[in-house]
Amino acid sequence: MIRVGIFALVALGVATAASAQDATTRALELERRGDYAGAASAWRTHLAARPDDLSALMGLERALTPLGRLAEMIAPMQAAVQHDPSPGVLGVAIRVWTAARQPDSARVAVERWAALEPASEMPYQEWGLSAYSARDRTSAKAAYVLGRQKLGRPDAMAAELGQLAAAEGDYAGAAREWSLALRKVPGYRGAALGILGQVPPAGRSALLRELGKDGDLAGDRLAAALLIRWGEPLAGAKRITAALTAAGNGGVDALQEVLDDLRTSSTAEHYAARAMVLELMGDRAQGPQRARIRLEAAQAYADAGDQTAARRLLATLAGDPAATPSMAASATSTLVSVLVDEGGVEEADRRFRELAPILGAEDRQRLALRLALGWIRTGRLAQADSLLVADSSVDAQAVRGRIALYRGDLALARTMLTEAGPFTGDRPAATERISILGLLQVIEEDSLPALGDALYRLERRDSAGAATALMQLAPTLAPDHGGSELLLMAGRVHAGTGHNAEAERLYRTVVEQGVPASAAAAEFALAGLLLKTARKELAIAALEHLLVTWPTSAVVPQARRLLDVARGAVPAT
Amino acid sequence: MKRRDFVRAAAVGVAGIRGAGDSGIRIAPSRRSTWLLVPMDETQGDHLKAYGVTFRVLERGSKAEWFLNYRNGSFLLPADTTTQRDAAVAGVSATLLDDGQAAEIRAELAQGNMDAVPLEKAPKVAVYAPPNAAPWDDAVTMALQYAGIAFDKVWDPEVIGDRLRTYDWLHLHHEDFTGQYSKFYLTYAGAPWLQEMVDRNQRTARQLGFANVPAEKKAVARTISAFVERGGFLFAMCTATETLDLALASDGVDIAASFADGTPMDVAAADKMKWDRALAFQNARLELSPSMAVYSEIDGHQVNSPDRRQPLGAFTLFNFSAKIDPVPTMLVQNHRQVIPDFYGLTTSFNKTALKPGVTVLADEPGAPWAKYIHGERGQGTWTFLGGHDPEDPQHQVGDAPTDLSTHPHSPGYRLILNNVLFPAAKKKELKT
Repeated sequence: MIRVGIFALVALGVATAASAQDATTRALELERRGDYAGAASAWRTHLAARPDDLSALMGLERALTPLGRLAEMIAPMQAAVQHDPSPGVLGVAIRVWTAARQPDSARVAVERWAALEPASEMPYQEWGLSAYSARDRTSAKAAYVLGRQKLGRPDAMAAELGQLAAAEGDYAGAAREWSLALRKVPGYRGAALGILGQVPPAGRSALLRELGKDGDLAGDRLAAALLIRWGEPLAGAKRITAALTAAGNGGVDALQEVLDDLRTSSTAEHYAARAMVLELMGDRAQGPQRARIRLEAAQAYADAGDQTAARRLLATLAGDPAATPSMAASATSTLVSVLVDEGGVEEADRRFRELAPILGAEDRQRLALRLALGWIRTGRLAQADSLLVADSSVDAQAVRGRIALYRGDLALARTMLTEAGPFTGDRPAATERISILGLLQVIEEDSLPALGDALYRLERRDSAGAATALMQLAPTLAPDHGGSELLLMAGRVHAGTGHNAEAERLYRTVVEQGVPASAAAAEFALAGLLLKTARKELAIAALEHLLVTWPTSAVVPQARRLLDVARGAVPAT
Repeated sequence: MKRRDFVRAAAVGVAGIRGAGDSGIRIAPSRRSTWLLVPMDETQGDHLKAYGVTFRVLERGSKAEWFLNYRNGSFLLPADTTTQRDAAVAGVSATLLDDGQAAEIRAELAQGNMDAVPLEKAPKVAVYAPPNAAPWDDAVTMALQYAGIAFDKVWDPEVIGDRLRTYDWLHLHHEDFTGQYSKFYLTYAGAPWLQEMVDRNQRTARQLGFANVPAEKKAVARTISAFVERGGFLFAMCTATETLDLALASDGVDIAASFADGTPMDVAAADKMKWDRALAFQNARLELSPSMAVYSEIDGHQVNSPDRRQPLGAFTLFNFSAKIDPVPTMLVQNHRQVIPDFYGLTTSFNKTALKPGVTVLADEPGAPWAKYIHGERGQGTWTFLGGHDPEDPQHQVGDAPTDLSTHPHSPGYRLILNNVLFPAAKKKELKT
């Protein structure tokens, strides 16, 4: 009989547990389907049997919230508190009383929870967050301030108060609170950046002034990160370097943090900021690491276009005993590039010849190409050619083809540019090479020094001289043997220098000459020019004329796309 | 080039226009080309602009024909100089035919599940959109602009002011006719574009004499329904489909959250809905949560409900009898039968929520939802297509605009343009 009784009790217990599990599953399913009224009813039934079930209490809270019937939570919540005044249940009580606008009752629940966990911020956080969710910022602030007083810690709930201050437009207050929060928990950095990053431009100066006051490096680090985020990388770099110079030799982790932030973009200003930070890091490093970082800084200065700063750092590296041979070679290599960009080709050439024996083949070819381009720009075609004569790479062929072209040796240029192929170099260089090859094919001459002179002027940025030379040469060739193409090229040069009227005249002349490939390209260029000068209807007419007259031209897809843009049929991208 | 040369070039040398058949052989001078066949199969150079070329033929007062199911819904246009030039500029492939060749095609149409539907008059097109609507955030506006089909924009003041009487065809896109700003009010609280939307709607509702935005949108929905009753053609996409019907069916019932009209939604609203007033749907349960950007169980995909969201599949267009059911046949003309699905605030329509008599034009095989539906109300018709943008399946607020010049063969956009041309065929006696 006793055994039967035990079995019965066990069976009853299992059945009750299974039934509770079923009720929970059913309530959750109703919630998932959006049947909140049904879910609330199911949770309520469950709570009638088990009033202390926290998950059911929270389920009822979830279901009643979208129905706008949170007031119905009061009775089951009070029953739960009576059975089990644990922190979880008291948290529900705080939320329900706050939603019901009964702050005194909410405070009682907060105090009961605080009595259970006297060192915890959580009761006050729960209260503040509930009030904040109900858009009652005043009560939220009062909850956090009360918590700070009761706990006796000036940095308690700093992140919460920082968020509130930012929402209320008190940016100086937000700066103070987030500085406190970051000193206590550095992991708050992401949250601080997320919230303070949204401060509108008008409020930023007040925020930045407050951050880092009294030599607080955490505040300066945050300020630097914010400046970078707001698109002021140089200001960010200056902020951190100034703070660290004052702080002495430490702060490498702060510099690394700023470097990481600066990696998000590749503008000249970002490179300059990176260079500044790297230089400071180099000053703080020792031995080979110092040389490596300085080399990186010099490269960043060069990428930013600040050749003077790059050369200054590279000069210090040359005499640095800690620099390894490979670092010294890299430094000299960078210096050669910097000198070429600055126009100091003679010195670059001297350093290159000194360095060449110890360079790897690939680096030697890369530098020789760069140097050759420098010689071309300074008018020394023979010097340039001599650097590349032993190089059979396609990159060298491409540059030697250009040298032949500038000398007027069209036959050799044609051969070398063809050998260079359509994929050598970057895209603009490859495109330019293909268009030059197209020009050489229609001209069919083997030697034409006047053309080489005109194109060399263009290379050396003498646009006016190049355009004049092209216009003088064009009439000496038949339109379908390069005459039209040269006029079109002259038109493009004029358009590029803002001489729109002359460009338009030349384009129209080429269209009138009617050589298919040149005329279609000229009409396309004309349409672009007309659009640029706000003559949309004329541009549309030109494009329609092009599409109907030269339907098989290579520019047809671009022309059709431009026509769609001109008509507003597709977004301009 | 001299002007006379240009005109000659326009007449005979246009891009993509070929002689009889696909051989590229030009017609002999003795045989006069009077027709231009615009094929809509895989040989077409720009499917979407082909609709624009056809529409402009009608605008100029000429007639055209739509060859249903012939080379995926080809068009027969007059071979006048203007049309040939228009096709060439648009990059639309076309073939010159003489009368005999056209007769041969008609004979072929008579033999199979094909038909020739005359297109007589370009419909006057209106797109319902607020004045500040982003120009590239509405698939129909983009399709019309890309194809070069003229349209006017109308919004609440024009609708309430009875301006719809002057139009044949009306498009609705992602308007929320329940007046709850797409229920983005909580998710995007503080976003400037949402604030602007709320301010503009509230101002307009006040100016038009309504107590709040939901009340005003219900009046707009009723006017649109009356437009259909009178014989108008309605085409709706995305959330306009579902919310239009919810607004119509909720006459006298509060289905709007308190952020929209100051009072919470009636939790018993679903029981009080007057579904007989809706166009397409019935007996759907409503979403009660104001913070969830979901309206009801009409939508099969529930994209904004993480718990209920369904993955995207592909939908299949149905085949109809061209001679018996020309209307649905027109609406499904396409060079693809199976089309990848795309999300919208309303992506699809649960079949259990469809009224009897609704024609399903496309669905996802094995799934409980339809994608593309059609029906009649009074003298007019309505067509609903779920989803936001056929070429941006996962569309999110703030996405880059779709550039249709990179999707000239979009089968999803073709469905939209079928709807624009369909009213041009109205004068033919329709059997559906």
